[in-house]
Amino acid sequence: MKTENEHRVKLRGGLAAITHALLIVIFANTSALSVIAQDDAPIPEWLQQRLVDRVMHRRDSNSMMRLVQPIAETINGGVVEIISSGRPVALGTVVSKEAGASGITKSSTSSDSYVLTKRSELSGDPIRVRLADGQLLPARVAAVRRASDLALLVVQADAATIDRSLRPVEFTRFVPMIGSFLISPDRSGRVIGIGVVGAAPRKVSHRGMLGINLQRIEEGGARVQAIIPNSGADEAGLEKGDRIIAIDGQTQSNVDIVVSTLNSMFPGEVVQLTIERDGSKVDIPARLSEYAIMQESENDARVNGARNVRLSGFEQAIQHDMVLNPEQCGGPILDSEGRVIGINIARAGRVVSYALPASLVASEVSSMIAEAGGR
Amino acid sequence: MTFDFSAKRDKGVSLAILLAFLMMLAPALSAQDQFYPNGSVIQGGLVPGTVIVPDAAVVSPQSSPIAGQAGADVDAVNTKTIPKGDTWVEPPVTLQNLLAQGGVPASIDELRLLQRQTQLVASRAAECTVSVQIGPAQGCGVIISESGFVLTAAHVAMRPRKSATLTLADGRTVTATTRGMNRFVDAGLMKIDDGQNGGKPWPCATPGTSKDLTSGMWCIATGHPGGYERARGMVTRVGRILDVRNDSLVTDCALIGGDSGGPLFDLSGRLIAVHSRIGNDVADNLHVPIDHYDECWDQMSRGDSWGFLRGFKPMFGVRGNGADQANVVEVYAGSPAKEAGIEPGDVIERFGDVQVAGFESLKTAVSDTMPGERVKVWVRREGHLIQVIVEIGRADED
Repeated sequence: MKTENEHRVKLRGGLAAITHALLIVIFANTSALSVIAQDDAPIPEWLQQRLVDRVMHRRDSNSMMRLVQPIAETINGGVVEIISSGRPVALGTVVSKEAGASGITKSSTSSDSYVLTKRSELSGDPIRVRLADGQLLPARVAAVRRASDLALLVVQADAATIDRSLRPVEFTRFVPMIGSFLISPDRSGRVIGIGVVGAAPRKVSHRGMLGINLQRIEEGGARVQAIIPNSGADEAGLEKGDRIIAIDGQTQSNVDIVVSTLNSMFPGEVVQLTIERDGSKVDIPARLSEYAIMQESENDARVNGARNVRLSGFEQAIQHDMVLNPEQCGGPILDSEGRVIGINIARAGRVVSYALPASLVASEVSSMIAEAGGR
Repeated sequence: MTFDFSAKRDKGVSLAILLAFLMMLAPALSAQDQFYPNGSVIQGGLVPGTVIVPDAAVVSPQSSPIAGQAGADVDAVNTKTIPKGDTWVEPPVTLQNLLAQGGVPASIDELRLLQRQTQLVASRAAECTVSVQIGPAQGCGVIISESGFVLTAAHVAMRPRKSATLTLADGRTVTATTRGMNRFVDAGLMKIDDGQNGGKPWPCATPGTSKDLTSGMWCIATGHPGGYERARGMVTRVGRILDVRNDSLVTDCALIGGDSGGPLFDLSGRLIAVHSRIGNDVADNLHVPIDHYDECWDQMSRGDSWGFLRGFKPMFGVRGNGADQANVVEVYAGSPAKEAGIEPGDVIERFGDVQVAGFESLKTAVSDTMPGERVKVWVRREGHLIQVIVEIGRADED
């Protein structure tokens, strides 16, 4: 009996000069159900066991999650879910002014609580947070840090709620060694994933682009010469021949200005383009995205799975291999000692998630709270 | 802090005392983390349960460096041997069952002991995990002998006697030449060209065996996903074996393009497999079991290549004859040869790097390619030499 029917396709590196070798295999019938569906004969016990083992023996199995649950529970009330335009877009980490210092200081006089989250996922108003106890509270953006893709939200709540479900986490300025286990909890304190530090913290550069080639012209602005398929420019409906006159309301006098304006933007950011087409002016919003993703083959995109649009461009990030959904970023990440060593900032591909290290987060939090008027 | 390993060899020391000693040291372990705030490479021998591995004996190039390690008994009292190679990390006694049989740690403390192993293996694996570039393709490899033999995937090595550039952990590049490959399982071999290490031995992985592997065991994958990046370096992933088959291991150590040919270790730092291919699911990652390299060592080291991986049989699409030259008699409809404009009556003079003698040598040259590979082909037609580019197709196998 054939246990599986494999159909394979070879990975090709697309337009890139270098191809990264790895063969992609499509498993047609690896789950027990599909075998049952195709075979009238009962599945032999040994095979059933093998199929069960394939799930039960995973690093992220239920029994592993249960093992590390006590670590996740130590920060109960420190994680919220962020709802933007009516759907969950990210997790948020409850922070306080003393985030970097040891010891939690309760703000008994103020009813303001602060929540840190992934800025680029805040797609629109209203922004609300769902607490550990299920309460849904309105929130507003009080400060942003584009370079780290962070937003500080202010949430108003009564003292009892703050005490129970908005408890600031304490960051530990410590980076675990490569090979160390990491754990991330959701708002109810359940473990959403187990991972391992894969590489030392480093700057993750980006090539955030609209996906256009520009032409220098005599008139002001720049002319669109070509559009990369599947780019933000493509999705926004930009066309060859369009003349970009202004970006976010700022007049662009020539192609150099357009290029430098766009180069200052990060993947995931939306720009308002004022263009001239067939003699009339149109405003078009367009989103920048990472160039490497635009260049990717279909196979690559499939094996990488769902990712954040802002998955690059961080001053410092810890690379780890926790399997996160894009909407599970913004929450804290703990080491096996239960220390909050950073916050998850991006799911960037099949083998890579990024976390901002606690040292970076703590200093951003202090300055953002100060900016928000927190005392 | 050092740990005299002789205590463990002494029969007079009870297991309980040893355990107590390890526990006494345990708090110091987590404190020690503080000295490496950037996750930097740690020195060997500083941690209980680990020993500094002395240089192994020089390996004869004719015998498999993997041989002789099979079943090396870690627990043997008195006759204890330290496995050769630089990635070996002696596991603490309390972990030996978990590592041999797989499973979930009994406690968070046990998880931390497991983590100590992954930290140490990861730090030691960096030296012998290399990035490999052959032509436009980039993959990985693992050095397994002091003389510079490097295991990789067959589809990374491509063909025997090709020149490869290896990038080491510190960014230094050296040249290597591919040897043989067993394409049935995607096992490939190459050797670093002599005279590039000032007479010093190459850092190499501790060889293991794939015969005792079982589903649920912990493992650690290293490599250079997406290619070598100096600022990032090698990337470590930790997961578990999900299925053990004769031709492949399945793990949830997530791999992606560029990882192919890189090493999979057990948590004692023994090399157990080489990365090969993936499925769509993040937990479908396939590796070539290490014993395949040992079994075919002689053929591979002398540069033989044979077989094809199921689903990856190359197809050119011509029928022909000729002992001295490759005469094309028929070009199949819809084949890569047809697409490239090859016609009946053409004589194939050259196929990629291969000067074609007879039709048999053309067949050999085609079997050395992979579906999707683009090959320059020179054909003679009515006295003119014409060059075409053929994208190798995929043959039906059933």
